[in-house]
Amino acid sequence: MKVLLQQLATVRSAGAAARNAQSNTATAARTATLPRDARDTLFLLGVIGWVVLLQIGHIPWWCTALTAAVLGWRSVLTLRGRPLPGWAWRVGLLALTLGATWLTHRTLLGRDAGVTLIVVLLALKTLELRARRDAFVVFFLGFFTLLTHFFYSQSLLTAAGILIALLGLLTALVNAHMPVGRPPLLQAARTAATMTALGAPIMLVLFLLFPRMAPLWGLPNDGMTGRSGLSAQMRVGQVAQLALDDSVALRVRFDGAPPAQRDLYFRGPVLSDFDGVEWRPLRSAFPASMALQAELVVSGPGLRYEVTMEPHNRPWLFLLEAAVTAPEVPRTEAYMTPDLQWLTRRPMSELVRYRAESFTDFRHGPLRPTVALQDHLELPPGFNPRTLMLAQQLRREIGAGPAYGLALVETVLERLRTGGYTYTLQPGVYGQHTADEFWFDRREGFCEHIASSFVILMRAMDIPARIVTGYQGGELNSVDGYWTVRQQDAHAWAEVWLQGRGWVRVDPTSAVAPGRTGTLERLRAPEGLFTGAMRTLSPDMAARVRAVWEAVNNRWNQWVLNYSQGKQLDLLKRLGFSSPSWTDLATVLMAVLALVSLMGAGWTLWERRQHDPWLRLLDRARQRLSALGVVDAQQMTPRTLARQVQQRFGDTDASRRLSDWLIRLEAQRYSRDSPLTLATLRREYQQLVWPRPGHP
Amino acid sequence: MSALGQRLQRWFHSRVPRTDTLALTQRNVYILPTRAGAMLALTLLVLLVASINYQLNLGYLLTFLLAGATVVGMHVCHGNLRGIVLHLSPPAAVHAGQAVVLDVQLTSERKRARYGLGLGVIGVDAAHTPLAWTDVPAQSSARVQVSWPAPQRGLHAIPPIQAQTLFPLGTFRVWTVWRPAAQVLVYPAPEAAPPALPAGSSEPGSAGSARQQDSGEFDGVRAYRRGDPQKTVVWKKAAQAFAAGRDDLVSRDALSSQRQQLWLDHAQCGHSALEARLSRLTAWVLMAERLGLDYGLRLPGRELPPSQGATHQARCLEALALA
Repeated sequence: MKVLLQQLATVRSAGAAARNAQSNTATAARTATLPRDARDTLFLLGVIGWVVLLQIGHIPWWCTALTAAVLGWRSVLTLRGRPLPGWAWRVGLLALTLGATWLTHRTLLGRDAGVTLIVVLLALKTLELRARRDAFVVFFLGFFTLLTHFFYSQSLLTAAGILIALLGLLTALVNAHMPVGRPPLLQAARTAATMTALGAPIMLVLFLLFPRMAPLWGLPNDGMTGRSGLSAQMRVGQVAQLALDDSVALRVRFDGAPPAQRDLYFRGPVLSDFDGVEWRPLRSAFPASMALQAELVVSGPGLRYEVTMEPHNRPWLFLLEAAVTAPEVPRTEAYMTPDLQWLTRRPMSELVRYRAESFTDFRHGPLRPTVALQDHLELPPGFNPRTLMLAQQLRREIGAGPAYGLALVETVLERLRTGGYTYTLQPGVYGQHTADEFWFDRREGFCEHIASSFVILMRAMDIPARIVTGYQGGELNSVDGYWTVRQQDAHAWAEVWLQGRGWVRVDPTSAVAPGRTGTLERLRAPEGLFTGAMRTLSPDMAARVRAVWEAVNNRWNQWVLNYSQGKQLDLLKRLGFSSPSWTDLATVLMAVLALVSLMGAGWTLWERRQHDPWLRLLDRARQRLSALGVVDAQQMTPRTLARQVQQRFGDTDASRRLSDWLIRLEAQRYSRDSPLTLATLRREYQQLVWPRPGHP
Repeated sequence: MSALGQRLQRWFHSRVPRTDTLALTQRNVYILPTRAGAMLALTLLVLLVASINYQLNLGYLLTFLLAGATVVGMHVCHGNLRGIVLHLSPPAAVHAGQAVVLDVQLTSERKRARYGLGLGVIGVDAAHTPLAWTDVPAQSSARVQVSWPAPQRGLHAIPPIQAQTLFPLGTFRVWTVWRPAAQVLVYPAPEAAPPALPAGSSEPGSAGSARQQDSGEFDGVRAYRRGDPQKTVVWKKAAQAFAAGRDDLVSRDALSSQRQQLWLDHAQCGHSALEARLSRLTAWVLMAERLGLDYGLRLPGRELPPSQGATHQARCLEALALA
C-alpha cells in the first residue's frame, strides 16, 4: 500500500534523475522530461498555489509572502532533487506563523486567524510530503481551505475559481493512485472531471433536500467584518465612497409595474442627533411614554415586491417607503421603529430574500406639535453661525403665517435651485462649519452635504427636521426584469415636520440636481482603462454585457445563495406535501437515496448483461448443452458443438435443427453477408426442441 | 491481526473455490473504506458543520459535490476491478528458498482502461507480500508477475492471491481473493557447496541401463579431477561452460570401453539427515545434468535409471521434492 503516493513522498530517490534533467535544457523541455515524482509534486504545488491565490484578498500580506516562499522553495527542491528540510525548519516556520498571526489578529482563534493559519499550514505541510498519510493531509487541508474562501465571497466567480481548485485537487489525488508508469496528467484530469460531473446530481439532490438548520452553536460574530454599505453614522465624505462603489445592494422584483423613479426611496437608518460633525440615530432624553410614535397611515393601492438583499451585517431591512406589515425574513423577524425604519433581530450576515408590501401614498408622525419633536430641533452651539443668521433672515422674510413651515421649505429649495449650487462627487474636504461652507462658500457637494446643510437650516428656523439615509433609485436590468439597486445609489434625504401633515419627505438634492433623483442620471466614477475603452468603443455593448452578467449573478443569488429552509419547504409543497416539515424533508431525502440505490442495483444487472449479445446467446446454448451432458461445452465453438450434438443425440429431427441453429449462429457472426439477425436467432432459440439428457 | 481475525480470514479464504481462471463479478469483489476514506469522511463532516454554522450555501455545494465525487469514486473503484478475468499460467517449479513466480494474465473487455491494479500473495500468517502493480488497457490484457517465497519442498497449493485497487481516490479499497487451482512443485534447495560427484561405477552390460551402446565409440565423461591430462579434457564442453559463466571442466573417461554408470544414491551421499541428503542429491542432479553425464537416482522405495536431459532431470527433482 505504501507504494502508492510515494511518488509524492520519495522525492529524495528521484534526485539523480532530476539532476540529469536539470542540465542546461530550457525549462519547458525540462518539464516534459521530469521524472514522474517531480512532475506530480510540481503539479500538486501548482494546485495549492491556486488555492492560496484565491485567498489572497483575505489573508495578511506576510501570509501570502510566506506561503509563496514556501511553495517556491519546495518547487526548487523538487526540481533539483534535493532532500526536504528537517523538522527544525518546519517548527521554526510554524512558530513564526503563530507569532505573526497573533500580532495581526490578536488571537489564534476566530475566523480570520483560522484562515491565515490554515493557509500557512497547507503550505508548510508540503515540506513534509513523506508518507501517504502526509499527502492525504494536504488534500484534506486543501478541501478545507477551499471552504474558508466562502467566508468572504460566494459569488459566481468565486464558485468558478473554487471548482477549478477542486478539480485540481481531485486530479492530483487520482494521479497519485495511478502507480504504474508515467500516465499523462490529462488522463487523471479526465477521470476527476468525470467523477465530478457524475457527482453533480448527487450534489444537487443533497443540496435541495438536506435539511437546512440553524447554526449548531453560537453564530460566529465575526461573520461579516469589513463589508461596505451604509453606516449608522454620517460624516461628511462617508457616502462619497459608497457613491463610487457599484456593487449591488438590493435586487427588487415588483409584482406589477415598478413605481415612478421619484418614489423609489428605500428607507434605512434615520439620523437625528447632530454634534456638529457627525449625524447619529436619535437617542432621546425623553421617557418612552413621551417619545414620538410612528403613527403611519397609508392609502392607495399597495405595491407588492420581493427584495434580495446582499449581506451588510447590520440588522437593517431596506423597504420602499412606507410599509405597514412586517416582511417575512428567513430565520428572524422584522419590526418597525418609530422613525419607520425596519429592523431584524439579528444582523443580516447572509444574502436574504423577503417579500413586502409598500404604499407610496402615506403619512406619518404626529399631526400636532408634541414635546418629543424638540429632539429634532437640537443644534450644537458654536457651529455654522452664518447658517443661523440666514435662518433668522429667512424667518423674518416669510413671517409667521399659518403655513410658514411649508413656505420656508419652498424658499430654501428655491434657493438651492437658483443659488448656483451644484452637485459634485468631489466637493473636497469641509472644515468645521460644514453648513456655512455649503451655503455660502463652496456651494457644491453631494446628497450628504446638501441634506445635512438643509436640515441644519431647517432646525435653525425651528422646523423639526431629520436626515433619512437609504437607497434611492436603481436600474432596471433588461435581461431578467429585476430592479438593481447599487451601493452608489446610497442616498441621504431630509424629513421635515409640518403641522397638520406630520413628517414630510424633502429631497434637497433633487433641487440641486434634478437628474439625481428624477431620471437617475449619475455622476460617473472615474473609470478604469478597460471599462473606459469598452464604453468608448461600444456603449451599448458595455451596458448589455453588464446587464447579462448581473442577470446571471442574480440567478445565482436567487437559486443558490438564497436557497433556504423556506424554499426547501416550498419545494416539498410543490411535490404534494400539504404541510411539509423537517421530517418530510428527511423522508424525501431517504426516498431519493433508496431510489438511487435501486437504480444502482438495476444498473449493475444491466451492466452484467452488457457483454456481447452474440456471446450471451452462445453462452445460453452452451449452458443448456453442458446441462445435457456435453463435456467441455464452454470451450467449444458453435461448429464443434454442432458436431457434438450430432454425435451425441443422433440424427433426430430435434438434434438436426439444433446443430443447424448452431451453424447459423456461427455464420451470423463470421460470414461476410449473413442475412440473419441476432433477434431471429434468439427467436429460433426459443423454439428449439432440446434432446432429453441421458438418452443419446 | 488478532488470532481470531486470522482464523476468520483463513476460514473465509478456505471457502473461496479454487480455479485457475477467475472472472471478477459483483459476487467476489469486496469493498471497504480505507483509513484515508475515514479521513475524507471526517473532512466532509467538518465542511458540513462549517457550512451549517456559517450558513454558507456555497459551502453546502462544495461539501455535497465532494461527497458526490467520492460516491462516484466508490463505484469507479469497484468497477475498476469488477469485470476483469484473472488467469494463472501453470507456474514453473522452483527450488526451496527461491521465489515462485506466478504469471497472471488480466483480461479486460471494458472500453475504458483500468488503472492501478495490485496483485500479491496473501501469506500464511495473513501478511501480505508486496503488491505488483499494473494497468490494463481498454479491451486488452496485461501480464503481471506475482512472486511468492517458496516454502518447503513438495507439491504445494498456491496460497490465496489478492487483487486490489485503490484507484481513483484511495478512499476505498476494492479487492478480491483468488485461490488458483494450480499447484507448484518445489524442489529441495541444492546444497550450497556440495562435494564432487561420486565416481561412476562400471556396470558391464547392465540390463537396467537406460541407454544401450550402439556403436564402439563411446564418450564417457566425468568431472575434471586434478591430475587429469589435458588431452582428456572435453574442450567443447568446457567452451560451453565458459560461455555460460561456469568454469567446470569435463574429462573424457580414460579408456571407457565400458559404460560408466553414475548412481546418485541417497544411502551413499554422506549425510544422515533426510533433508540434508535430499539437498545434496539435488545439487548432484543439477551438477550431473550440467556436466552432461548419465545419472540415475536411488531413493528409498524409488529408483530412476540413469539417463540425462531436461525431462530426466525434472523427474529426478520431482522425486526428490516428493520424497
